[in-house]
Amino acid sequence: MKAERQLLRLGDYLVGRACRRLPRDIRAERYREWAGELPVILHDHQIRSAPRRAIRMLAYAADTFRAVALTGGAARRTSPAMTAVLRSLLLAGVALVGWDIWNIVQAPGHPLNYLQLAWGLLLLAYPVSMLARSGSRAGTPIIVTGTLLGVAVNLWEAAQAPGDWVNYGAAALLAFLLFVLWAARRRAHARQA
Amino acid sequence: MRMTGPLERVLGAFLADVVAPRYGYDLMKEARLPSGTLYPLLARLERQKLVVSAWDTPQQVGQRPRKYYQLTGEGIRIARLEIAQASSRRHHAPAVAGRPAPGSMG
Repeated sequence: MKAERQLLRLGDYLVGRACRRLPRDIRAERYREWAGELPVILHDHQIRSAPRRAIRMLAYAADTFRAVALTGGAARRTSPAMTAVLRSLLLAGVALVGWDIWNIVQAPGHPLNYLQLAWGLLLLAYPVSMLARSGSRAGTPIIVTGTLLGVAVNLWEAAQAPGDWVNYGAAALLAFLLFVLWAARRRAHARQA
Repeated sequence: MRMTGPLERVLGAFLADVVAPRYGYDLMKEARLPSGTLYPLLARLERQKLVVSAWDTPQQVGQRPRKYYQLTGEGIRIARLEIAQASSRRHHAPAVAGRPAPGSMG
């Protein structure tokens, strides 16, 4: 089959990406097992058309993400203490979003209120995503975007009231939190490698 | 063991030939299940010691090793029992009452 090597490489890539989400003790074996089926699917003579074999192979590789969600999820359950923290965050997020909506109703022409609402919704999205699925990988992008938006909100407020140093302090604190998160992830990656 | 449609199909595929080694892709085709459904089921059956797995040795250089699965003795017994029970439940399930035809209720 033409482009067989590229297709296999793509399949290997998808399986590899899925396996990266598995606990470390079963990761290598699952990868070996799932990647071992890819050439067999690509050469399955029961399927006459080569494009159909390619599609089936890629569908197989892509669906391993679902297998990981079902098998790997159990290894990453949220602890009761973490669940309590996430529920508190959820309540705080609901209150914040309610407050932001109230502010928009009071002053619909003020753009900062919409920025604050977007920030509040992101802060709400984090506990929702974590409670809905333990170990969700959506958590990090939400935190990063939420923190960046928080920095933007505080800088905007600082621009509106240049004498108020609290806004600069809040923006600097959020930027520092972002730096800590980045450093922690870098360290975790280095440890894994 | 909670019998579900996919599980019944996987056990049925195993029971079609209990001594044959079954690879993931073959089971997918026989049970008509996607990989994302099949592998968690196999992992669960392996944890329950109803299925054992092993690696085959590649016949040619460059061939990738494949993992195969087989039912254990206990797995065969339980699979046969569960499939028979599921089949019996289906036979004895009360027929779903159809909607009465218009005008048939007097």
